[in-house]
Amino acid sequence: MKIRDRVLIVEDEQSISSFIAAVLEANGYDALTARTGSEAVSAITSHCPDVILLDLGLPDMDGMGILKFVREWSTCPIVVVSAREHERDKVEALDAGADDYIVKPFGTSELLARIRTAIRHTRTPLPNSDIAQSGQFRAKGLVIDYDKHQVLVDGENARLTQNEYKLVSLLGKHAGRVLTYDFIIRQLWGPGAKSDNQILRVNMANIRRKIEKNPAQPEYIFTEIGVGYRMVDPD
Amino acid sequence: MGSRPGGRGKRRLQCWAVTAGLLLLGCALSGALLALDHTGGFVSMIFVLVVVLVARLTDGYAYGAAASFVGVVCVNYIFTYPYWEFNFTISGYPLTFFTMLSVSLIVSALTSQIKRQEQLRVETDRETMRANLLRAVSHDLRTPLTSIVGSASAILENDALLPPQQKTALLRNVRSEAQWLIRMVENLLSITRMGDGTARLSKELEAAEEVLSSVAGKFQQRFPGIQLTLTAPREALFVPMDAILIEQVLMNLLENAAAHGQSSAILLSAERQSAGAVFTVRDNGLGIPEEILPEIFSPALPGKLHAGDDRRNMGIGLSVCSSIVKAHGGSMSACNVREGGAMFRFTLPLEESEEVLS
Repeated sequence: MKIRDRVLIVEDEQSISSFIAAVLEANGYDALTARTGSEAVSAITSHCPDVILLDLGLPDMDGMGILKFVREWSTCPIVVVSAREHERDKVEALDAGADDYIVKPFGTSELLARIRTAIRHTRTPLPNSDIAQSGQFRAKGLVIDYDKHQVLVDGENARLTQNEYKLVSLLGKHAGRVLTYDFIIRQLWGPGAKSDNQILRVNMANIRRKIEKNPAQPEYIFTEIGVGYRMVDPD
Repeated sequence: MGSRPGGRGKRRLQCWAVTAGLLLLGCALSGALLALDHTGGFVSMIFVLVVVLVARLTDGYAYGAAASFVGVVCVNYIFTYPYWEFNFTISGYPLTFFTMLSVSLIVSALTSQIKRQEQLRVETDRETMRANLLRAVSHDLRTPLTSIVGSASAILENDALLPPQQKTALLRNVRSEAQWLIRMVENLLSITRMGDGTARLSKELEAAEEVLSSVAGKFQQRFPGIQLTLTAPREALFVPMDAILIEQVLMNLLENAAAHGQSSAILLSAERQSAGAVFTVRDNGLGIPEEILPEIFSPALPGKLHAGDDRRNMGIGLSVCSSIVKAHGGSMSACNVREGGAMFRFTLPLEESEEVLS
């Protein structure tokens, strides 16, 4: 028998959780569902799912509580589902250790893509194994050369400043994942840095003008507005 | 943001400052004139003027009443014989006090009445807009819901009879109607989000190109067939805005271009101009019918378009758009382009408004 990845769907709306379960079953996953926070906690401890799809708005307990509870003892990937009116919650969730988020209403292809990415990240031991081997990150025309500390676009040096290089190389190491502004600032300027993301954004605006053909239609680094940045998946 | 409670205390301080300043000014003026002319008949008049000004420039009755009291005391103590001494035996003294007090009370009453009426008018306007929107929306919600229920039951009840293509077509229909409902609900959420005017907008500096690309991404998911070209500002451009709402404005404009304008190509751009950050959505579609162009941003528009056409949502979407832009202190315009198609354009001011800074 084929062993399938097991996804736990924590969602209080029956209709939504059954549609997600149907999509996942059809695409080669085992789907478990939990409708309340307490059900979720017992399912997580007894079944050890490969991915948790967590709705932040639950009837009996706060989704953030479950997130923190799981993060105390497990690195199991968690994809947070948030509604539009709780935009700010997803940043908090990412900073509390969620791996990714998806906003309601979402399409099935988007959902499957997020789950695939989340599972892949658990397989590659921290953060991006290609870089460890070759010293390089490659995605389409973009190469980050970690040994020479430079970024090449279509073979040309993009001439990034030191801060710009640090930012791009950090995103490269976590390619495919959203990094929140706070996370990036802490990584780049230390835990004592002021969490003012304006410097970060100015840096990013400049980077875009150096590495993207059209800064409004980026190919490499995507902005998740109000949340942070995401580097495209490597080739 | 968080400036509201502090704002009231600040306003009170401001009122006291105005009161004290005007009284001092009155004293100085009386003192100066008294040095020239010892009769002092004008002193009371000056203080009446001060009281009127205080009552007009401050909120409520307290400041005006305080000013008239201080005014009477000043007139009596400092500016009438015997100077620097109280003399309650002057004839007409109670009359002076009474005059000043009633002037202040009447002016205060008039001022607060005008302010209250102004506020009432704004509230009525907002209420009317909401009521119109709600009426239009609830009417509009029924159509897609009927279609969804109809298509779903058609499939459930006639599963064996329907050929697969027809089932797929029905399901597509369900999906597109549901997506339309989602957009409608998002517009409604924006209206509640704007709630009490500008106070609740959570403005932050956003890079213009990031907003454009975020909207473009969502738009292309829904309309992959349309060629969308984006132009970023040449220099990094940071605009204070509530990104969720501005994204929605752009999304509404793009969708109108695609769905109602039947465009095949859309240009979306942002640039810096002297007036602020200018966002433009230009399409190559049918353009806007001349007869609705003058009132295109009016919430009453959807009602007029209802004669069974596919223009529903356009008016609601656009009136929401223009309210969002107005709440940001910007302005919005629409026109047809000579080469064909429509162009929507809105400007957002670049300076943070005073309210956000305080």
